[in-house]
Amino acid sequence: MKTSGFSVLMTLVVLVAGLFFGSPFAALLRSFVATDGLAQLLDRQVLVVVATSLITALLATGLAAVVGIVLGYHFTFRKQVGSRWLKTFFSLPLVLPPSAAGYMLLLAFGRYGLIGAPLYQAFSLQIMFTMTALVLAQFFVITPLMMQAASSAFQQVPESLVKASHSLGADEYTTFVKVLLPLSRPVLVAGVITAFARAIGEFGATMMVAGRLKTIPIMIYSKAMGGDAGVADGLSLLLVLLSFLVLLLVNLLGESRR
Amino acid sequence: MTLILDKVSLNIDRHPILEQISFRLPIGQSLVVLGNSGAGKSKLLEVVAGLRSNQSGKISYDGRDLGALSPQERKIGFVFQNYALFPHMTAEANITFGLQARQAPVLEQAKWLKAVAAELKIDHLLQRFPAELSGGQQQRVALARCMVLRPEVLLLDEPLSALDAASRERLALLMKKIQKKYQVTMLYVTHDHNEARYMGDQVLVLDQGRVVQMGKPEEIFSRPVTRFVAHFTATRNILPGRIRERCGEGGALVEVAGTQLLSTSFPDWGEDVWVCMRPEHVSLIGTVSENSDEMSGETFAKTSGENLISGYRICQVIPQSGAAVLIELMNRAEQRLMVFASSRRIEDQGLLVNTEVELVVAARHVHCLPRQPEDIYCRPE
Repeated sequence: MKTSGFSVLMTLVVLVAGLFFGSPFAALLRSFVATDGLAQLLDRQVLVVVATSLITALLATGLAAVVGIVLGYHFTFRKQVGSRWLKTFFSLPLVLPPSAAGYMLLLAFGRYGLIGAPLYQAFSLQIMFTMTALVLAQFFVITPLMMQAASSAFQQVPESLVKASHSLGADEYTTFVKVLLPLSRPVLVAGVITAFARAIGEFGATMMVAGRLKTIPIMIYSKAMGGDAGVADGLSLLLVLLSFLVLLLVNLLGESRR
Repeated sequence: MTLILDKVSLNIDRHPILEQISFRLPIGQSLVVLGNSGAGKSKLLEVVAGLRSNQSGKISYDGRDLGALSPQERKIGFVFQNYALFPHMTAEANITFGLQARQAPVLEQAKWLKAVAAELKIDHLLQRFPAELSGGQQQRVALARCMVLRPEVLLLDEPLSALDAASRERLALLMKKIQKKYQVTMLYVTHDHNEARYMGDQVLVLDQGRVVQMGKPEEIFSRPVTRFVAHFTATRNILPGRIRERCGEGGALVEVAGTQLLSTSFPDWGEDVWVCMRPEHVSLIGTVSENSDEMSGETFAKTSGENLISGYRICQVIPQSGAAVLIELMNRAEQRLMVFASSRRIEDQGLLVNTEVELVVAARHVHCLPRQPEDIYCRPE
């Protein structure tokens, strides 16, 4: 078969894209080996940061899973006037620059913020620059992701099954728990995994509300800027591996569903 | 003791889906809702089941206003077109789902499950998942899931459409038996006129969300009120005709396809009509006989009540199920007639393609309906 110009062009684009996307990974690996990044990872300060990231991301994901599923259910089955506007509003953090999201959270939950001020005055409760702030920032960013995953999961459940459940006498709650949740479990689990990965990698919003606290992405940034390549290499590679595992899991879940 | 729908209408996204549907169905009877895809049949069932909230009009059962009840409170069983079995549950879990949702006592659940499973011969399938069941078995499980709740009204949405011919026959028999045994009021949706004929004590023809005709099956099939109903109920011979003379004694002479037929079923007004003759009502009596000219068709009809039709040649013979054949005939003016006959008769009489034949149809089976749609519903001043 004669090779067409189009085919050559396609191959060329794939090759160039491969080089472009591959080079940062290759560079990271080279730097990791050169700076002995693995050893740097075992430093106590680094381990605390990893633990902080894991704990906050897990908490934020748990919260986002519950709220995202409820929102997804609401916008799939309880459409009302203005639902489309409201859904768009809840999706905003998906496209909002994370730094803007963080700034808005500061304005809302800071000591002089819209909600933060009364909380501080009434209970001397300070949210900003604590672990709670990190969880809130991650929750703010990943909840829309979870909501969209839940929406698409519920939409995949045939409408006739929901109708059948109602016609058999099941109320909305029973139908949700016994029919919708089990049938959408794979997509929901994939959504939770993706949200967790997004939470642990969240940088912009978290940075704005973290104060002296550090998560993995914040530490990578500060170490890279400070010239401490070893820690930055180790943590970056950790995130790369984690992201790879997450994508693999999501793909596996997708295949098992098919 | 009646299921009553009174002026039930449904709009979806401002489009009328059902318009002013009204009927009364005595309790324990079955009503087949017959209509094209998109006629609103399934939506009608959903409205009765309470799965649509935006309808207007009244629905009552045995004097009870169903409109005021949620789907959970209505004693209605719904078998969906694709059965809608929960794929993550076994057949047993599917069947007991409704009982659990209604918080029936565990002992009662077991008792009813056992009874219904035995009745529908699915005892051996209870631990299987829907994906492990054949279409017919899934259908039985779906039916069991409804029957176990002892519904007052059973709604079936094209329950046989996805099955092979043998399973369809078996399950149709079974459903009819169960409906009669438990005296459950049944609304059965289909687009298959054969199913309608067999399953319904009454048939309702729905077109574009409106009731076109409702009555006993034989009435719908032999006395369609519109060309749509005639066509939909497989009245294959629908020919344009003109009433020449209303002769009293409930008879009229109709000019159709170059011949004159006596009809005892015709409108009181209007001249232009559609002449409907079901293929099974037209008998092929053989090749043209030498004596056929002795008496005119008109005289023959008036004296015997039977119409003699000649001038048609066999175009093709189409085998049907069993020993029947459908014969397509055509006259010189290229007007077609379809008739059923037995294949044995065709063989015995040596009726080959192109043979000219004579046919007989009783005057009571020549049904004329107004050609102008407005004539059907309103009599001119």
